[in-house]
Amino acid sequence: MNLFNRKKYVTLPQTNFTIEPSVPDGMWAQCKKCDKTIYNRQLGIYKICPACGAHFRISAPEMLSIVTDEGSFDERDADLVPENPINYPDYVSKIAKLGETLDVKEAVVSGRCTINGIETMICIMDNRFIMGSMGSVVGEKITRAFEEAIENRLPVIVFTASGGARMQEGIVSLMQMGKVSAAVKRHSDAGLLYISVLTDPTTGGVTASYAMQADIILAEPSALVGFAGRRVIEQTMKQTLPDDFQSAEFVLEHGFIDKIVPRNQMRDTLASILCLHATKHTASATITIPKVEHYCGSETIEPSEAVEISRKISRPTSKDIIGIILTDFIEFHGDRNFRDDTAVVGGVGYLNGMPVTVVGTQKGRNLEENVANNFGQPHPEGYRKALRLMKQAEKFGRPVISLVNTSGAYCATGAEERGQGEAIAQNLLQMSGLQVPIITVIVGEGGSGGALALAVADQVYMFEYSMYSILSPEGFASILWKDAKRAKEAAAVMKLRPIDLLGLQIIEGIIPEVAGGFDNDVSFSLDYLKRLLIHEFSALLQLTTQEMLDKRYERFRKFGAY
Amino acid sequence: MFSKILIANRGEIAVRVIRACKELGIATVAVFSEADRHALHVQMADQAVCVGDSPSKDSYLNMQNVISAAILTKAEAIHPGFGFLSENTTFASMCEDCNIKFIGPSAAAIDAMGNKANARDVMKAAGVPVIPGSDGTVDSMEQALEFAEKYGYPVLLKASAGGGGKGIRRCNNAEELKKGYEAAKSEARLAFSDDSIYMEKAIINARHIEVQVIGDEHGNIIHLGERECSMQIRNQKVLEEAPSPVLSPEMRKKFGDAAILAAKACDYKNAGTLEFLLDANGKDFYFMEMNTRIQVEHPITEMITNFDIVKEQISIAAGNKLSIKQEDVEINGHSIECRINAQTTGLIDYMFLPAGCLGIRVDSGIYAGYTMPPFYDSMVAKVISHGKDRNEAIAKMKRALDELVINGIETNIDVQHQILENEDFLNGEYYTTTLTQMLGL
Repeated sequence: MNLFNRKKYVTLPQTNFTIEPSVPDGMWAQCKKCDKTIYNRQLGIYKICPACGAHFRISAPEMLSIVTDEGSFDERDADLVPENPINYPDYVSKIAKLGETLDVKEAVVSGRCTINGIETMICIMDNRFIMGSMGSVVGEKITRAFEEAIENRLPVIVFTASGGARMQEGIVSLMQMGKVSAAVKRHSDAGLLYISVLTDPTTGGVTASYAMQADIILAEPSALVGFAGRRVIEQTMKQTLPDDFQSAEFVLEHGFIDKIVPRNQMRDTLASILCLHATKHTASATITIPKVEHYCGSETIEPSEAVEISRKISRPTSKDIIGIILTDFIEFHGDRNFRDDTAVVGGVGYLNGMPVTVVGTQKGRNLEENVANNFGQPHPEGYRKALRLMKQAEKFGRPVISLVNTSGAYCATGAEERGQGEAIAQNLLQMSGLQVPIITVIVGEGGSGGALALAVADQVYMFEYSMYSILSPEGFASILWKDAKRAKEAAAVMKLRPIDLLGLQIIEGIIPEVAGGFDNDVSFSLDYLKRLLIHEFSALLQLTTQEMLDKRYERFRKFGAY
Repeated sequence: MFSKILIANRGEIAVRVIRACKELGIATVAVFSEADRHALHVQMADQAVCVGDSPSKDSYLNMQNVISAAILTKAEAIHPGFGFLSENTTFASMCEDCNIKFIGPSAAAIDAMGNKANARDVMKAAGVPVIPGSDGTVDSMEQALEFAEKYGYPVLLKASAGGGGKGIRRCNNAEELKKGYEAAKSEARLAFSDDSIYMEKAIINARHIEVQVIGDEHGNIIHLGERECSMQIRNQKVLEEAPSPVLSPEMRKKFGDAAILAAKACDYKNAGTLEFLLDANGKDFYFMEMNTRIQVEHPITEMITNFDIVKEQISIAAGNKLSIKQEDVEINGHSIECRINAQTTGLIDYMFLPAGCLGIRVDSGIYAGYTMPPFYDSMVAKVISHGKDRNEAIAKMKRALDELVINGIETNIDVQHQILENEDFLNGEYYTTTLTQMLGL
């Protein structure tokens, strides 16, 4: 279509611009995940795709500048280069050539630095150098970093990015896995903190050694994390694997990664974790928060009412409570064995400035969340996650808070196959000897062994409208009277109310709630709980470990009527 | 001067820029989406390049494609118009990387003024009046009362975590503030899980008055007087006039001085607009925000100053000095702009745009036989009148609207007639809330 009759104008040249517009080299990058062409400046220092959030691979020097305090990095063994242990053709010249073209001389950069002012050893692998493969020098530099950390009582952070062992060094490369692992073990036995950060790709011998040996394992989003290569598995098994197979998210779901941290939050996250492990628990003299009055509960709450309200869907969940009583909470995932059970939440945070570990069963506030969290009924891996985090607390001397709100451990074939009974049993065994104080709070339902698996503690408290029993009133009625409908009657005889359990010395105290439940006034109950925890932990921390463990032993030793 | 410019926009503003280029002897490149293949700006330009699918994000906002079009056609500069990429710093820096002149301010100036809190700090530091606020959270009732005593009621309590009009509570006296403070805090805690509150003085019955500025790349900057934009619905301007019917010469000078101060504070280059709120007392005025681009209502300033802002934008971008000095700026007569917005889309089967006699101008991107696509802004035409005084400008506008016919789509012409017959408007006594009340919304 032509609206206008075009005339050709005579135009006099008037431009004073002599350089034609053009696209300079390196202006654009392509995202491997979404295929979009990205303006390089928009990638920023973090190299995150603005269209899909994918993390581009970055070099060790780039990662160093992102996570460490400016000017704090003091490199170690910068010029260490390998010999040729199996006389592989052209290996030495290849190493020399890479060292000349890249700004690193081997596949790992190691040294000492500060992050937010906290000193740490740091090793960052560089995938540009023979795919970040682990040869003698990589193994040596990381081992020396751990040794220096042991000598100076420092934490270690290792960023992994590796295709695995370095073929050109043969069996000597394989031995690096054993060598580094031995150094990690000594560092851990010295009670020191090790954080690994898995970046794209972390595979083979690196995954099967120091990547998976850390106290806390972080990963970048979508990073490839695995042992055997995808193609090898597909060919061996003669089947196609799902797209997300061996992604960091997949590995977290399977229980082996604590937390996925976007690169632009990595520095802050590392700083928070380092700070939490550098802080010692506060002495009681400095506590300025007033003590709470001991509360004995009210007789006016009917047992059936306690049962009903303890199950209310509007009752704040463990995560809600953690968010209010702790500051700077960081959630950690996984049992490092089979799966991350979302029916159990756990992590670290500060209670009035004191680092603590918290574990708890997690219900949902609606049907969707409840389905996702299996209605707060843990699988064995949930109990194993809790135990893992409690053992971590023990290593670092942190008190443990456990929050219980579960109708019981999950009953299903999978749970039985993976040893539900064994998981609960281990928790009872290990908690009875855990060398840090434990306080359990029953928030809603405290159902049977599934509840006790988080409640072998120095002290146990219950919310006023909660319950704690051998099994559900429905189950009780069904077993004794063959009629689950008589649950109300059962509740009346079971002595499941806090006030009854206080009388039986099953618990130490009651957290008051406003009429109808603490969802009506969250801060009233949680302020009480917070003050209670601060003072009770302070008192427990004044005991020697042996005194504390003896008291815990006596606490359970006394139960029985004969 | 440039020999070819790409216009990264559509509709009437693209047409407006093409017209300026033609008069300057500069070749033009239009970009268009699939839906705009037959649009007027595509017809008018010397060259046209399709930059993507109908939705804006795939075409007019597709930075890579727009840049590619400029490189392929060897355009030396890009005029972004308003909206779309006009205030996008990433796009401005892409242009720079590719040796293409972005006709507008520097990326740094767009950045500095684009963020409202940032702009407020810059203005405050420069001594430009801003709406009195607590500058940080108000943590106790005493602090809240102290603030209100200092600046006077009514005051607004705003949740720090709020935004988009949510979490705001107005208190008209100390009694209401005492009650409102705790309530606002607990509301904020429930809604945003963050109970921090800040305070601002509430400006009621305010007028929206803005000042056009333009600066060159040699440090010269002038203002072209003010525009009165209080006639608006839901923050959308409907009718504008210049000069404002209420500013005294002293107040006009104060606005102009504040605008120059503000523009200098961010080292501003090219055309921009400082928006202010004038208090009902007619004396106190406060900086609201800066628009770092040409604006829809720029023609009324052109009419009363006899100065082509778009041509000057292009000239400045080519590195020339401002063609006039502040003392050359003279305000002649009065000008009004009515925005004609479509309320439906479809085929415009017949159309008559008013013309004839002195003082009528219509900037439009439509023609008879054109089908309005449903993807973009609804403004189809701007009718602009210019008279020796306000009454003549109003009379000319009424005449022009009587003649205006757009058949096939629904428009807001009736609302414009209603405004022109409204007593408050005729008396020049109207505020940002007037039109909403007038239409009973």
